[in-house]
Amino acid sequence: MPVVDVQRVKLHIQELNPSGEETIILIHGMFSNLAVYYFNIAPMLAENFRVILYDMRGHGMSEKVKEGYDLTSMTDDLYALMEALHVEKTHLVGYSYGGLVALKMAVRYPEKIAKLAVIEGPDPNEQETLAIIDTYSKEFLIHYVNNFADTTKMQMGKRQLERNHRMYEFLFNETTIRSDMESEKDFFQHKALSQITHETLLIYGEHSNCVPSGEKLAAKIGDANLVLVPGDHNVPIQQPETIGSELLLFFNKDLDIDIYDSNLLVVN
Amino acid sequence: MDQLTEEPKKLSNDEIFDVLNQFITEVIGEEFVDEMDITPDSSFTKDLEMDSIEIVAFSEKVKLHFGENINFTGWLSNMDLDEIISLKLSDIINYIRQCQ
Repeated sequence: MPVVDVQRVKLHIQELNPSGEETIILIHGMFSNLAVYYFNIAPMLAENFRVILYDMRGHGMSEKVKEGYDLTSMTDDLYALMEALHVEKTHLVGYSYGGLVALKMAVRYPEKIAKLAVIEGPDPNEQETLAIIDTYSKEFLIHYVNNFADTTKMQMGKRQLERNHRMYEFLFNETTIRSDMESEKDFFQHKALSQITHETLLIYGEHSNCVPSGEKLAAKIGDANLVLVPGDHNVPIQQPETIGSELLLFFNKDLDIDIYDSNLLVVN
Repeated sequence: MDQLTEEPKKLSNDEIFDVLNQFITEVIGEEFVDEMDITPDSSFTKDLEMDSIEIVAFSEKVKLHFGENINFTGWLSNMDLDEIISLKLSDIINYIRQCQ
């Protein structure tokens, strides 16, 4: 298992097509892991790009740490990861809370970022996640998992439920995640967001309750394009091909290649 | 990352099964494996209850062991969610056999 020790924390990474000229880094959401991209979206992007996926601190197979779940710490991690992997400049894709990490990265290190894609980034002032943290219980998890299973066709067995329960218990009861997320409540009100000059793609599920957040971002960011696709907040799991195609279209646009020819050149 | 393991001879189905069985044990832990009967007919999500990050870890082991000429991730990426959910150990054994 590839692990990069970025001094601050040990992060689990996966890399596809390491010789790709331009790099795309994919950031998953809170309580999730890099698998959300690994099976479909990442391999699609890897046809033309070097693709790096990583598990955020405390998530997936990265180191379990007690603090640093705010956007500043999360972007410190990402910056350190780019340094460790010698990535000068990268495109970013972030899903849900990972979308906020991507936005924060563009604000803090604009020169390190090429294009920006945000999938279902929620306004932390509105999102239900904070409420979820306050009401977390095992009964809640079972309800949440069942709902997730209904909308994504993923079923969890007993051992998976236990594993998830342990992850939530760790993050909710043994880390500062609650106060760290709480401290980001006003993120969408920060002036810095409207100073983002990167070409930005905003992808939201048309039935997601995060659509108003996407509209807010579209109004704030100068060079932003909001795209609605079939699905809800779980859209990367529901429609990975659609998300992958939208991202490819966005990132390929200025690439100096003939897309049709490049697809023909992909041989195994 | 790109360690290629020499495979001097073609492995039989049983030999591949033993290797994969070992990987599954490493990924999900012996205490759980003891409780289940892993066979070529076992499905990853339903029978073995592996979740996606465990399948990532498993894929990583397959890639390191059998070499990059087995494009395991690429093979998986051509499947839709239903196919991945119903994926059996025997499907992977057959895929590895074809690639040898």
